[in-house]
Amino acid sequence: MANPRALDKRRKSVRNIRKITRTMELIATARFKQAMDRAHAATAYTDRMKKLLHDLTRTGLEVTHPLLEPRETTHRGILLVLSSNRGLCGGYNGNLLRRAQARWEDFGQSVPQRELEVSGKRGLSFFKHRQQPVQEAFTHFEDKPRFDEVEVLANRYLNDYATGQLDRLDIAYTKFRSSARQEATVETLLPLGSMEEGLPEVDDQTAPAGRAESQYEFLPSAAQILEEVIPTSFKIRLFKCFLDAAVSEQIARMVAMKSATENADDLIRSLSRTYNRARQAQITGELLEVMGGVEALKE
Amino acid sequence: MESPKYELAGQRILSVVVVTPETTALETPAQFVALPLYDGEIGIAPGRAPLIGRLGYGEMRIVEGNETRRYYVDGGFVEMSGNTLTVLTHRAVPADQLDAEAAQQQLDEALRRPANSQELLAVRDRLILQARAQIRTARRAG
Repeated sequence: MANPRALDKRRKSVRNIRKITRTMELIATARFKQAMDRAHAATAYTDRMKKLLHDLTRTGLEVTHPLLEPRETTHRGILLVLSSNRGLCGGYNGNLLRRAQARWEDFGQSVPQRELEVSGKRGLSFFKHRQQPVQEAFTHFEDKPRFDEVEVLANRYLNDYATGQLDRLDIAYTKFRSSARQEATVETLLPLGSMEEGLPEVDDQTAPAGRAESQYEFLPSAAQILEEVIPTSFKIRLFKCFLDAAVSEQIARMVAMKSATENADDLIRSLSRTYNRARQAQITGELLEVMGGVEALKE
Repeated sequence: MESPKYELAGQRILSVVVVTPETTALETPAQFVALPLYDGEIGIAPGRAPLIGRLGYGEMRIVEGNETRRYYVDGGFVEMSGNTLTVLTHRAVPADQLDAEAAQQQLDEALRRPANSQELLAVRDRLILQARAQIRTARRAG
């Protein structure tokens, strides 16, 4: 402990780590802003979609679709887990995987044929460690999930659901509530349940009040449009999950790296103090030795 | 959300908003817009009666002044309300940026897909329509 050289070495390595965590914090901040902008840009679509749906339902159309109705018996269920490819993001993956694991065990009791699909290397290694087979693994979703990439997945689920090969789809991801609050959640995406869920509420002020009912002309027909609206709103929900997960990951990393940097600062300070004290003690010791030697020679 | 009324030299102008899930692709005034609906093309001029339509795959033309802009739209919806035309689509690609070779490849693959059940047939038809529309749009642009 009192070896000043060892202390200095340790202080240097802490300084280096601090440089790394500080840089990662800055990178995460920049990525978070980008991801946030993307998520924000995506709300334009959901808002308009919601408005369209609002206008559609005002015609008094009965909203029924196979995607909305729960199946009587569930044979095959898929759990999709959105974890991150990289670590150093605090409790982000830990919290998420704990929730996912709990749902997976629930599945074991209620779903005869359960399958696991995982996005992100962290989740993959977690399930590999637990020796749970993963049917599909994705590692190409980084901090900028693209709609056409997500759509490929969505189409596969929709086709499987339509042909009766899939009865239930659950997704575990980190929901973005605000920049200060994200929570790991597990949601059921298929059957969709309510269509309005997941799409933001229409502000009544934005919808012009007092408009005549059903003023729209529907081409080819309202029912035909509805047939397309429902799969699309599923795709949007899935895409939103990916966007949320990307934003939350960057926030988690930013927060984790910020506190790591602060910790490193504290550590450097306390190490410096100990080092100075040890150095002073060494000098004092050496002085005493010299003085002792002089005294001894005098005699 | 009252739409801005564009007036240009006494001519009536429509405001067009094209939105994809990722971003707002285009916001522009226009004098005329042609869109591929699910069952045929529709032309929309300013002041059209309110409409909600289901889009198919194909070419969207936006006419503004002497300029015609061509886009490929990939399904979705169109809503005409006020004097605003909102196009919600999965993808809106300028026609000259379309990848005709990739579309041709998709078409070849789609034609080889099995179609021995209703659902598989539907999937196959969709892929074929999509690919053909892309090839057609790209050819017209080139």
